[in-house]
Amino acid sequence: MEVQKDARISAIDIAKHFGDKASGTLTPVLDGVSMNIQEGEFVVILGPSGCGKSTFLKILGGILPASSGKILIDGTDYGTQVPRELLKRFGFVFQNNNLLQWRTAAGNLKFMLETMRLKGEAWQGRVSEMLEVVGLQDYQDVYPHELSGGMRQRVGIARALVHDPDVLIMDQPMGALDAITRQMLTFELLDIWHKTQKTIIMVTNNVNEAIILGNRVFIFSQLPAKILQEIPIDIPFEERNHQVFSSPRFLELREKLNHHVRATLSLEEPA
Amino acid sequence: MKLSKKTITNILAPLVTFLLLFGFWEWAVSHYQLPKWLLPAPSGIIQSMVVNFNDFWPHILITFETVLIGFLIAVPVGILLATLITSNKIISAALSPFVIFLVTTPLVTLIPIMMLFMGFGQKVRIIGVVIQAFSIVNMNTVTGILNVPIIRHELMQTMGSNKFQSLRHMIYPTAIVDIFTGVRLSAIFATTACISAEYVAGNHGLGSQIIKYSQFLKTTESFACIFYVTIIGLFMYGFVAFLQKKVIYWKI
Repeated sequence: MEVQKDARISAIDIAKHFGDKASGTLTPVLDGVSMNIQEGEFVVILGPSGCGKSTFLKILGGILPASSGKILIDGTDYGTQVPRELLKRFGFVFQNNNLLQWRTAAGNLKFMLETMRLKGEAWQGRVSEMLEVVGLQDYQDVYPHELSGGMRQRVGIARALVHDPDVLIMDQPMGALDAITRQMLTFELLDIWHKTQKTIIMVTNNVNEAIILGNRVFIFSQLPAKILQEIPIDIPFEERNHQVFSSPRFLELREKLNHHVRATLSLEEPA
Repeated sequence: MKLSKKTITNILAPLVTFLLLFGFWEWAVSHYQLPKWLLPAPSGIIQSMVVNFNDFWPHILITFETVLIGFLIAVPVGILLATLITSNKIISAALSPFVIFLVTTPLVTLIPIMMLFMGFGQKVRIIGVVIQAFSIVNMNTVTGILNVPIIRHELMQTMGSNKFQSLRHMIYPTAIVDIFTGVRLSAIFATTACISAEYVAGNHGLGSQIIKYSQFLKTTESFACIFYVTIIGLFMYGFVAFLQKKVIYWKI
């Protein structure tokens, strides 16, 4: 795949394997995954569980090195590993909020700033600002165990935003939530994306979520993961609300995505 | 202060059991006319605890001191060693077997040999307490640190934190419950270790007195010393429980 010049992030031919050949534990996880992500885009990666989607996110965000391939950020080629200095440009949202339970909501955001050595009033101001973005301005001094699952995940999102990253990386951010909270948070996330104008890359296994949130949806295959399909979601932002579920375009897209997801599952032949 | 029903139950239930047990003991001793050297009545023991307090006091003090100093050395040593063991595979391979060796070897067997080098002083007993108490802190801290979820390490990685920051701000707080399990056990182990050391070494401390009194069939005094040991043990346990409440102020 070609590198697009104006892309914020380009991943070219990313492959990743764990273990090694010598001990016979070689497990290929990613096999030639390429994508170009534009600034301000909301990209969704959809695929069966355990297909290496999370591994791909970790490589993009610099937590893991790739085995081969290259990653470009704003046109600069960083090879297989995004360097540590660039971590500040990413914000991570984890599947189960991953908050520190000994710190308050605001304390968890401050922890991010402290660890990244971002000092000064402007940064401190962002703590309440970001909690306001996720609608938790009244819960600054509340400990995680006093919050509901959805609220905790919103604190997790606020934490990922507090150091003003360019890119949000979300690894099944709603995977641990109940169905109702999940749907509510999906629309809130859409709103947060609109307000903050961040580039977002999200992994999910939920087709509805993918359509409501994504500009483009990539469907990953079973291990070792390849991109099977890239599907643009052409529903305008204004129409992405609770009524969207009954719109014909939504249903059409859902059928299309479901079809492809089913196809990934049937690839798995019984041994 | 208004006590909740649960608090009353929690205080009342063990108190009633305690009274029943001691009542039965008291009754059995007088009913079967057991001689004092075989089994003294609780009332006699408590009386001895008060009457002979001046004889016991220096030994109580020295036992308490040995336990406390040993414990206070053992906890940081155990945590530090666990940190080293979990941070490096080679250190882990080099040290782990010896920690297990120290845990499984009964302390009493080591004391006479240690006395050859260091004499009968308090130092030997403190070292005995440290050996017994640090290993249990160490083992539990290792478990705690290894149980830190990968997702937490990834969180620190995304923040670009260094090893020291991770330890202080993430690993220790995450592992604190396991660490405290070790500390609580080590408080108990410290008391046990101290008494075993005193059984073997010298004539200071409650352990040595228990041996001395039972050799002269002064069972009442012997029991009085045992009760004081129990009180020291309970104090240590309570001290750690109090500390745990202060340190872990959040809900797990």
